[in-house]
Amino acid sequence: MKSKANFNILFVIPALLIVLVFMYFPILMNFFNSLYRMTSYSNARTFVGFQHYAKISSDPIFYTALKNNALYAIFSVVFQVGFGMLLAILLEGKFVGRKIGTFFRNVLFIPSIISIPAVALLWYFIYHPRIGLLNGILASIGLDSLKTAWLANPNTAIYSVIMMSQWQYTGYIMVLLVVAIQKIPRELYESAEIDGANEFRKAIHITIPSIRSMISVCTIITVIGSFKLFSEIYIMTGGGPYNTTQVLGTYMYRSAFLFDEMGYGSAVAVIIFVITFGLSLVQLKSFKST
Amino acid sequence: MNRKFISLLLIFAFVFSALAFAETVTIKFLHRWTQEPDRSFFEEVVKEFEKQNPNVKVEVQTVANDPFKEKIKVILGTKDAPDVFFSWPGEFTNRFIRAGNILDITSYMLKDGSMFDYVGSQLIPFIYDGALYGLPYRLDGKVFVYNKEIFKEAGIDHPPATIGEFMDDLEKLAALGMAPIAFGNIRPWAVSHYIAAVNQKSVPEDIWEIDVDPAVGTWSDPGYVEALKIYSDLIPYFNDYTNAISHDDARAGFMQGQHAMMYVEIVEIPEIEREGPEGFLDKIGVFPFPATDGPGNQSYLVGYPEGFVVSSNTKHPEEAVAFLKFLTGREMGRLELEMLGWFNGIKNLVSPEEVKPIIYETTQLILDSNKMVNWLDSSLHAKIWSVYSVELQKLTDQITTPAKVMEEVQKIASEVRKEF
Repeated sequence: MKSKANFNILFVIPALLIVLVFMYFPILMNFFNSLYRMTSYSNARTFVGFQHYAKISSDPIFYTALKNNALYAIFSVVFQVGFGMLLAILLEGKFVGRKIGTFFRNVLFIPSIISIPAVALLWYFIYHPRIGLLNGILASIGLDSLKTAWLANPNTAIYSVIMMSQWQYTGYIMVLLVVAIQKIPRELYESAEIDGANEFRKAIHITIPSIRSMISVCTIITVIGSFKLFSEIYIMTGGGPYNTTQVLGTYMYRSAFLFDEMGYGSAVAVIIFVITFGLSLVQLKSFKST
Repeated sequence: MNRKFISLLLIFAFVFSALAFAETVTIKFLHRWTQEPDRSFFEEVVKEFEKQNPNVKVEVQTVANDPFKEKIKVILGTKDAPDVFFSWPGEFTNRFIRAGNILDITSYMLKDGSMFDYVGSQLIPFIYDGALYGLPYRLDGKVFVYNKEIFKEAGIDHPPATIGEFMDDLEKLAALGMAPIAFGNIRPWAVSHYIAAVNQKSVPEDIWEIDVDPAVGTWSDPGYVEALKIYSDLIPYFNDYTNAISHDDARAGFMQGQHAMMYVEIVEIPEIEREGPEGFLDKIGVFPFPATDGPGNQSYLVGYPEGFVVSSNTKHPEEAVAFLKFLTGREMGRLELEMLGWFNGIKNLVSPEEVKPIIYETTQLILDSNKMVNWLDSSLHAKIWSVYSVELQKLTDQITTPAKVMEEVQKIASEVRKEF
């Protein structure tokens, strides 16, 4: 029996080695790199201990980045999960016909399959201060005073990028929730109807409790995604104006590859790892409890 | 007999082709021009070089301007580094030289005397610690291009020579109801060109030459604040949304006649000819940044040549340097001028009548300048530029003051000095 178990381990070893070499080893290496001052183009390195972590803790841009990631997470939960759930309930309920429901499901899902650079370019032109659609609409309805350089105004830039992501991913979360709703036994709704429940009560007392676990998964996916954010910011604003739209991902990239501080960038990467790892633990725990 | 002869022939053919195959070397070449007509020019260079050197194959890789600055730093640290690649002389290249990533080509250039084919002043930017590390691909400098018709309409009969005249002209142009200067600063390299000009005019030469050295630079001379005050005076005359639009967007506005002038690189003039309305080039004139009362040198021109270097990790230094010389040499220089309208660093490349007067005259401005002042972004240490660029965007949005900008720059410069 014991020799059979040993023999079985042999089958696990290749996969284990791949995970160790390509996942855990880089994480470990990244931590070691964070203790050195180094650049991406040279082998020269100077040991600085935990200096980078101390510097990060006093760097205002780090806190701006952290705040922006948190803002992204809050907006994403409200719009993608909250609004996505509302859409899922509407499209799966009796408010719209089957054909119309399918049509809107597809239309709302399409943005999530478009690549981020294409979406970013599209929204870049929507927000363009001179030829952009948004300023054009504002001008046409007499709200010229609201016209602004959406991506270059420090008060609007981060929200402009956040809204682009909500447009892109709300449909995706909605589809996940639609699938969960479709798994709810029809009998529950029939019983509720016999009891005289209206659509609102059915949603509150049957739909939402039944898809609780999927809502929780969607929330955690969205929050973790918010802390891994990079491409949207990199393409739309590059972290500007004046670093007001930096998020942890772009802050790390900027330090490592633009400003030759690979060790500092590695330290930021460690912090991103700790945050996303912590959130993953919450996710695992919530899976167990549901 | 015939059989034996054919067998022998086949063996010889096989051996010779194997030898020929073994001797073919491949060099990787990285540049940053992704669009036409530049791409075609580089294809032509490679085709011609391979024709003249059948044992060398050149593999071309292309990355656009902004991502290039990031990608080059990553690949230079790997075994996949290109053999020949584009680089901006100054601190951008110097950091790679210090890290041992770039080949010293002095001996290759002296061996056959090809060093002396190049304009001396255009080789200086590629010299570091007495050794030559690269060759110029195109000469460049910064000038104001102005719309002669709009100037005339505003009653201005000659371009300004001093900052006082410049401010008067801006007032007259603004009175026409337009923003006189087209400026797009979404990528802050654009503002760096203005600041290089005003710094050089407002700060004594020996001081700014020391300050660009990250090991010793303090940036404490009061001239830097004065320089930013001059820049601040120009801000009301820029177009709206300066920090939100690109240099190309702003240039489109200038070419459409929405603005009277724009601070552009000389290499953009052929592009203005290609992209602007027909005959637009005949409507424009050029003038250098006007002189100020500052203690700096008033005659220097902002701008630096751009060029190519050879990786120190190349396995084929002879072939890589040969390609570099070919790319920046006379034959390809003439082709570059014909296809792209740019001069490379070769002496007496063409006679004046062979090119458009405005292109010849602006290039002469570079060749006649006693000294060129490097672009601020590529002359500064990356960390110093990271702070300087953000502060300059704030200044352009008028939410900070020249004194505060320099305070931040001095702080980061002090931090950087400790690393050397």
